[in-house]
Amino acid sequence: MHTITNFMANDHRSCDHLMVAVEQAVASGAWALARTEFGRFQEAMQDHFAAEESLLFPLFEQSTGMYRGPTQVMRGEHAQMRQLLAAAAAALVEQDFDDYTGIAETLLVMMQQHNLKEENVLYPMCDQHLTDQVEALLPELQKQLAGSNKIPT
Amino acid sequence: MQALLSFDQAPPFAAPFRFFLTAPLFALLAGMLLLWSGPELFASRWTPAALALTHLISAGFMLQVMLGAMIQILPVVAGANIAKPLLLATLVHAAMTPGVLLLAAGFLTSEPLAFRLAALLLGSGAALFLGAAGHALYRVASSNPIIRGLKLALPGLGMTVGLGMLLAMALAGSFEVPLLQLTSIHFAWGFVGWSIILLASIAFVVVPMFQITPPYPTWFANRFAGSLLALLCLWSIADGIGWAWLAVLLADAMLLTVAALAVLTLQVQSRSKRARFDATQHYWRLAMLCTLASCVLSLAANHLPLLTEHQEWPLLCGVLALFGGGLSVMIGMLYKIVPFLVWLHLQNLGDGRVLAPNMNKVIAMRQIDRQMYAHFLALALLLAAAFWPGWFTYPAGLMLLIANASLLRNLLSALACYRQHCLKIAAGMASKPAGPGS
Repeated sequence: MHTITNFMANDHRSCDHLMVAVEQAVASGAWALARTEFGRFQEAMQDHFAAEESLLFPLFEQSTGMYRGPTQVMRGEHAQMRQLLAAAAAALVEQDFDDYTGIAETLLVMMQQHNLKEENVLYPMCDQHLTDQVEALLPELQKQLAGSNKIPT
Repeated sequence: MQALLSFDQAPPFAAPFRFFLTAPLFALLAGMLLLWSGPELFASRWTPAALALTHLISAGFMLQVMLGAMIQILPVVAGANIAKPLLLATLVHAAMTPGVLLLAAGFLTSEPLAFRLAALLLGSGAALFLGAAGHALYRVASSNPIIRGLKLALPGLGMTVGLGMLLAMALAGSFEVPLLQLTSIHFAWGFVGWSIILLASIAFVVVPMFQITPPYPTWFANRFAGSLLALLCLWSIADGIGWAWLAVLLADAMLLTVAALAVLTLQVQSRSKRARFDATQHYWRLAMLCTLASCVLSLAANHLPLLTEHQEWPLLCGVLALFGGGLSVMIGMLYKIVPFLVWLHLQNLGDGRVLAPNMNKVIAMRQIDRQMYAHFLALALLLAAAFWPGWFTYPAGLMLLIANASLLRNLLSALACYRQHCLKIAAGMASKPAGPGS
């Protein structure tokens, strides 16, 4: 069965793999490649945030009436991750290995604890509350996420 | 669902951190105990000093880290919010810490009052924690292996502490119980029913997500905690009523299940896509190798009576499980949890206007690596001390002191970083008074 949980969790894993590609390029000192890979990673992250903030979260909020609940928290965490992405991009331009590694590690832990909350709590609630809309919603989400060139998982 | 409404409410920094800071103090005491008691400690697993040492590490170091981590992660992984986490942490910590000290003192002095007070303090601390965590998890559906595992680990802690209280009261002379038999059931619940089930439920999440590995096989993750708990219950009954052959069979099945967790974790971890292994991954690998070795040695001892004639055998299994398995995986996790919590709380306090230092600036990687090597060396010396106590007890005690002083220093440097940046943020906010803070 296609669920919001499976669909969005798969996109989390795609973003993870794009992030690892940057890490591997940085580790081997290939800074130009790292910047290219980082571009793909950043784009995938932005698409994911946008899909949630413009499509999934508003539907959840309308359906549950919870406007200041979990979705607000998730938006706040997106803002923190956007800041970390900007800081990581700056470290890549500077070719600062220590700074990039430290920021990327922080971003990874931030991302994963955020993903845990979404995959274990918020997405299952979306599946529960948006049952009638899943069929129409998934292609819309797919369209939003298709902008980035993902690695299949 | 009600729990979810407030899942932004990460517990205050002081709630988990007091447990994390206290943990190395118990390992430092364990090191001092080794130096004080000398090679006699390794005469058998039943010497008063060996029992005190075991509890300083298990009920001291390991339980402190597990309780602190549970208070922190329940809202994140399960959306299960603990009401008043700071109050709970303060009370549980205030009961558990002197409780373990009194328990160790009880073993070393045979003073009945120390055992009675230890039982009272550890029992009330555990009851408070179990009540709060159980209440928070009760409302959450068991929708995945992590949440199921966390729920199933709680009775394990309850049984371990309950049986421990019974044993402590018996040692205080309050009543008589079959000490050896109850001790092995108490140990099995602590090791398998609480620690391994909790560790596995965390591993199923943490290893794939943070080390970027393939997931554990679904059939394994889904069945692990339930099967292990069922085996443990059956084994406890078989052992209790004296069906020796069935008890051995069930013990083998438990050991094989735990060994399978270690093997699968090593296998999954070997497929990590991370560019290089960091200290946390090295600690995980060491912990799984030691857990596997401990299970294999215990299985061998179950079937080769010749081995059990040697006092070294159970000591070796104990050192591998406690210092090699438990301590290693927990220190490895602390090196991710603590820097991240410092970053997260500073980031929230700074409200996006004063940037928090990244995780690698909270505790320098170089300091972490040095501590890790000291821990590896302490473990090697402890293993050697199980065979040649006359030669290795003092070096092992000394190295345990060095490794845990270094761990304490690393955690304190994280705290210093937090406090220093709090001041910076306060100064920044004072010049830009619009900030909400938190």
